[in-house]
Amino acid sequence: MEEGAPMEKAVIAKNVTKKYKIYESQSERLKDMLLPKSYGEEFYALRNVSFEAEKGDIIGLLGVNGSGKSTLSSILAGVVPPSDGELIKNGDSAIIAVSSGLDLKLSGRENIELKCLMLGFSKKQIKEMESDIIEFSELEAFIDQPVKSYSSGMKARLGFAVNVSIDPDILIIDEALSVGDRAFAKKSLDKMREFKEQGKTMFFVSHSISQMKEFCTKALWLEFGEKKDYGPLEEVLKDYEAFLEEYNLLSKQKKKEFREEGFRKQSRKTSEPASS
Amino acid sequence: MKSAVLICKELYQSFYLIRRLSVYEIKSKNKNNYLGIAWEIINPLIFIAIYWFVFGYGIRGNTGVEGVPFLNWMMAGITIWFFVQPAVTQGSKSIFTKIKMVARMNFPTSAIPTYVIFSKLYPHLALMVIVGIYMQFTGYPVNMYYVQFPYFLFATIALVVSFVLISSTLTVLIRDIQMFIQSSIRVMLYLTPFLWTTDSLPPAIQSAMQLNPLYYLVEGYRAAYFGDGWYFIDQWEYTLYFWGTVAVFFIIGAALHVRFRRHFVDFL
Repeated sequence: MEEGAPMEKAVIAKNVTKKYKIYESQSERLKDMLLPKSYGEEFYALRNVSFEAEKGDIIGLLGVNGSGKSTLSSILAGVVPPSDGELIKNGDSAIIAVSSGLDLKLSGRENIELKCLMLGFSKKQIKEMESDIIEFSELEAFIDQPVKSYSSGMKARLGFAVNVSIDPDILIIDEALSVGDRAFAKKSLDKMREFKEQGKTMFFVSHSISQMKEFCTKALWLEFGEKKDYGPLEEVLKDYEAFLEEYNLLSKQKKKEFREEGFRKQSRKTSEPASS
Repeated sequence: MKSAVLICKELYQSFYLIRRLSVYEIKSKNKNNYLGIAWEIINPLIFIAIYWFVFGYGIRGNTGVEGVPFLNWMMAGITIWFFVQPAVTQGSKSIFTKIKMVARMNFPTSAIPTYVIFSKLYPHLALMVIVGIYMQFTGYPVNMYYVQFPYFLFATIALVVSFVLISSTLTVLIRDIQMFIQSSIRVMLYLTPFLWTTDSLPPAIQSAMQLNPLYYLVEGYRAAYFGDGWYFIDQWEYTLYFWGTVAVFFIIGAALHVRFRRHFVDFL
């Protein structure tokens, strides 16, 4: 913790950058790995994204498809390391995504045990948590069936129930609520409201702006992997909605140009000198 | 060298987790069959029967090896094969297949191949007991040389873990390594005296075959089952060679693993 960051900060992102390499062929990929010279094209899924989240903030991630929302949520969850920059988290984080690492062959119950075990809970703790999780997931008789027989809604419910029950300090929700039925979505929202009251920090990725309005306090708008705007929800959302309206009015050709320009911004041949 | 110490520490610290996770791994592998986990035993027994028929009955005409009936001789050694073969093939692809699931969990990535290998240990122990019981009734009762079993078991695990540390890391980087391992591991069945003796070969070739560390383990298991002696002391030079090989594998594997693990997820 440098510069004596105050404890209320839940997440501090400093110039978080994620770049992937795109190769034209397998041989290029191999050469890049083995030879000291760099091959392939770099693609910036995120570039120099900096923001600070206070404890208790609920931050909606906005942006059109491919703007880097999912990449940012994976980095926040710790699934993917950033290639550059720094991310300081105050507490444990958990991500809820539609298919978040379930073993399809095992039953729902075994998946709960396995997940909790991997998260470092003891046998006794797991026994205690198990019934709560099963109850929350509403899977009832299906809990002892293999997960591969579940519908996508059931899987989402199981994933949600597990991640909510491990009581994380930072919760990242990636489109998960769009899968369950309305009753479960409401239950999940209630649970998240409960978390909000407890002062937990949440990140929310959703295409439903109405859900965000109901829920979020702040918004982070990403465009082509870069931070476009960050601030209180109303302000950011106003600009974002205006942008969306304009974007939707564009002709197909114009939309394509817009995307292509963004792609050019995001990628760079490694043989070219670095821009800044 | 630093990485090797680090990995050792990690494996020691996550030993409880490795044990628990290996149970779920074996469950997950056998979920679809009515006989479930029993297949982990039935499968090797079927192969033992076939190998006896082809190599013992067909090729050798049912003659023994140095006075030991062929079936006893073969079973004593081939138990290792039924552990090493699945442990190496499944261990090698373990990081690649499981990293998504465990990426943000509270345990080190080096535990992934290790717990997959450990899940193969339960059927191995069961098979060892079954072979031991068969020995009882066929004239090779329990003897004091059984005491060396824990040593050879540990040696087997150490060899497999060290090797798989290399192969599982490389498999993430270059997917073709998995294909190579899958096909080349089969060769080891024939390059190790599981099914045939090397007695009739020229001495130079015999020694060359001993470069294969599995050779050491097979002879060790046999020495224990048949009460031939304290193999690891009688053959102390070979013991040194074996542990030297394991150490080299482990140091290379640990260095590779530590170097690349931060980026495993990026390679998928």
